[in-house]
Amino acid sequence: MKKILAGGISAGLTAAIGIGAALAQASGLPVDGGKGMLPAASKLAEEVHFFHNGVLMPIITVICVFVLALLLWVVVRYNAKANPAPKKFSHNMTVEVIWTIGPIIILLFIALFSFDLLFKEDVIPDGKQIVAEADGSTNVFAFDNDFPPSRMAAADRHVQVFLGSAGGAVGLTPGKDYALSGLGTPTVSVTLKETPAAGDKLVVRMGRSLIGAGADKEIALAPSITLKAIGYQWGWTYSYPDFGDFEFSSNMAKKEDTTPELYRFEVDNRVVVPVGETIRVVTTARDVIHAWALPNFAIKIDAVPGRINETWFKADREGVYYGQCSEICGVRHSAMPIAVEVVSRPAFEAWVNAKRVESGMEPMFGAVAAVEAPATFAAADVAAAQAQQ
Amino acid sequence: MAHSHSQDGHAQHAHDHAHADAHDHKPPFLVRWLFSTNHKDIGTLYLIFAIAAGIIGGAMSGLMRWELAEPGIQILTSFVPTGTEAEAEHFYNVLITYHGLIMIFFMVMPALIGGFGNWFVPIMIGAPDMAFPRMNNISFWLYGASGVLITMSMFASGYQSFLGFAGGWVMYPPLSSNTGHPGPAMDLLILSLHLAGASSILGAINFITTIFNMRAPGMTLHKMPLFAWSVLVTAFLLVLSLPVLAGAITMLLTDRNFNTAFFNPGEGGDPLLFQHLFWFFGHPEVYILILPGFGIISHIVATFSKKPIFGYLGMAYAMVAIGFVGFIVWAHHMYTVGLTVNMKAYFVAATMVIAVPTGIKIFSWIATMWGGSIEFKTPMVWAVGFIFLFTVGGVTGVVLANAGVDHYLHDTYYVVAHFHYVLSLGAVFAIFAAWYYWFPKMTGKMYRDWLGKLHFWVMFIGVNLVFFPQHFLGLQGMPRRYIDYPLAYADWNYWSSVGYAITLAGMGVFLVCMVDAFFIYRKKAAANPWGVGATTLEWTLPSPPPFHQFNELPRFDKGDAHAFH
Repeated sequence: MKKILAGGISAGLTAAIGIGAALAQASGLPVDGGKGMLPAASKLAEEVHFFHNGVLMPIITVICVFVLALLLWVVVRYNAKANPAPKKFSHNMTVEVIWTIGPIIILLFIALFSFDLLFKEDVIPDGKQIVAEADGSTNVFAFDNDFPPSRMAAADRHVQVFLGSAGGAVGLTPGKDYALSGLGTPTVSVTLKETPAAGDKLVVRMGRSLIGAGADKEIALAPSITLKAIGYQWGWTYSYPDFGDFEFSSNMAKKEDTTPELYRFEVDNRVVVPVGETIRVVTTARDVIHAWALPNFAIKIDAVPGRINETWFKADREGVYYGQCSEICGVRHSAMPIAVEVVSRPAFEAWVNAKRVESGMEPMFGAVAAVEAPATFAAADVAAAQAQQ
Repeated sequence: MAHSHSQDGHAQHAHDHAHADAHDHKPPFLVRWLFSTNHKDIGTLYLIFAIAAGIIGGAMSGLMRWELAEPGIQILTSFVPTGTEAEAEHFYNVLITYHGLIMIFFMVMPALIGGFGNWFVPIMIGAPDMAFPRMNNISFWLYGASGVLITMSMFASGYQSFLGFAGGWVMYPPLSSNTGHPGPAMDLLILSLHLAGASSILGAINFITTIFNMRAPGMTLHKMPLFAWSVLVTAFLLVLSLPVLAGAITMLLTDRNFNTAFFNPGEGGDPLLFQHLFWFFGHPEVYILILPGFGIISHIVATFSKKPIFGYLGMAYAMVAIGFVGFIVWAHHMYTVGLTVNMKAYFVAATMVIAVPTGIKIFSWIATMWGGSIEFKTPMVWAVGFIFLFTVGGVTGVVLANAGVDHYLHDTYYVVAHFHYVLSLGAVFAIFAAWYYWFPKMTGKMYRDWLGKLHFWVMFIGVNLVFFPQHFLGLQGMPRRYIDYPLAYADWNYWSSVGYAITLAGMGVFLVCMVDAFFIYRKKAAANPWGVGATTLEWTLPSPPPFHQFNELPRFDKGDAHAFH
């Protein structure tokens, strides 16, 4: 039996076991004549899409068509020519009860999805992931039970087990592939049906937020990075408290510095975050109220002077995502966009090093030699990172 | 209607009145219109005021749609003194701000409550006038003063050398405090809203008193016409919500001028306090705008279907329910400000509840038509249009009620589309329906029915083209209150602006229809041009009604039980 003490969250592994698909592309922009929501770039946004496109839209469309059909019917059937003698009724208990109870049932159905989604969006995830490496000798893996909630998981609700091998990572099915014991005690153990090969990695996740619209739901991990966005008239200042609190301003790129399609989306300094990690966003403002919005992640949070607001997102794919200030803030309200560049963990670390050097600090991450500069990466930053090494 | 036989009795009444009123003398012109204490004259003044405000507010939206017709900032630069992009951006924000304020406070409210309310509530309940005729006069002229102040505000300096307040009709501090708009434009705007609020509170007190005390003998509340019900509920909303707005903007005024710090975070204040106070007023306000429309639509649907309104009591108490619940849902305008999740969950639940009484109203209107013998005269066409468009605006409200989705849609064009469907296509369609319904009564003249219908169809196409594509823009992420936008939003913005041009043409038809009615067609209206379905008391009076009506009160407590439902 192999016991591994719970370590910090190994976020790099998340990408390594393939939970997040890694496709480097700038995506999610609106298209001319587009009619739907912008492409979802996170599991949470997929859930928002499902709620809107799969639950709300069908319901409201049916209601509108139903009302329209009733109206057309009365126009055709009960116009003065078709029905010269009006009826006299003015009450009908049955239909009145139906059109009171009917909408209530519809609203309750909507509420089933609505509250669940709201709490997932608004409660910062607390998920924790622990990794054990198999030595080929045992199929039983024990872990210290300090998973949230309450630092000791007592039920198998929201547990996920993955097995990462040379062929990639697979999610295991409880009962079929593994058994879980020890919940509610200081040690939990996972017993696999088949003994994994030496070198395979067993990943166990527990947390309260099970996110996703399809079958591949995912337990969101607690944030590994905090991003602070400070609104001002008219731009954003970002700082990274986890990495020495370096700070930079991000203003709308001039028309000549970007493509026509990206004008009013692009900025001079993008925010950079690693893929597959939960990012806590905290916002505030220096002068008036602004709002930090990223439609691809379905988040929008006001930046209010004197207050700190928080929300979170987790990017599934690399790329550049854009948003725009969403609370009127004066003359240049339409000219303070938000651009977030999602990169691999090594590229992120290289960028952090470069930013720290810019701010007169030592680089923070040592082993980032293997950085591949992403195409979307600001060339100057990469050069700075390489110069540092 | 179980009382069609009583029509004859009323016609007899009307004849007597007409005879008696022939001796009615009207005061000289200036005394009549400046010092008026006559509810019908004051109603007329309110309607003229609303038309003037509607033209100004509509012209403002024209400038906005012109600028937004294509990407870039090219139109408004020629409307500002310096011609700079920055001043054009400020001017755009001024336009959205005053468009909202003017349309809400100076167009819809004066038209529905001050105009049609004053004209028809006393008549419908069988009263000779309002309870406090002189207060009615001061109520109107406070509105006039308020209109002067808001106009001055537009031309006073707001931010730097730029004129007017440009922070949106919601006036959130710190953008509306000295941080964002140090100039006197905001102070003048606050004073304007104080007067408008005082005017509305006085008007509301007048309506409540009139309706509670001056109903004709035998007309119990449960026999009272639904328009009077709707104005009664609206008046209560006004009395309860406007003082809260007054408090909020007074605190803002002292923040700006006397160094208080209610909303100043630098000194321990909280900008969100203003938002809570504002929306505690602001949400009931949207029902203030639409409830009288509900009442009007009920009358029109019943009249032209020649059937009593379906589920009269349900209709009346649905409005009461909407009014009550309207007070406890305000923070659904604030889902992104950083409320706790439990608070949001409460407001999601409370907000969705409103869909139930609203659904009752929609279905009851359809049930009123069901089995009827419907004549599609102009007012009825507008009413049917209202029912459908209000449904569309209502269901997007259910979408937005869900905070989980609102985080995506908040402050995007989806919201703009939603509230214009319920207001621009809801309240405004109700105003036009009411105008065409009561125009013969108010003026004594008929209009050409086909012109009214042409107006409807052009405007129906126009406003739908303006606002339906804005749902798409919102889903595609375009934020509100943007003078310029990325290229990808160009298509729908273009079509939305085309829709404005069509709407403008529709207003042209309206103008033609009115000029024609007054000067060319000149056909006298009968006391009741709508036939057996029109059963409320105004149709028992001549068109136009005498200067003073009901010198002898109509009675409902003798013989057959008369009710208007």
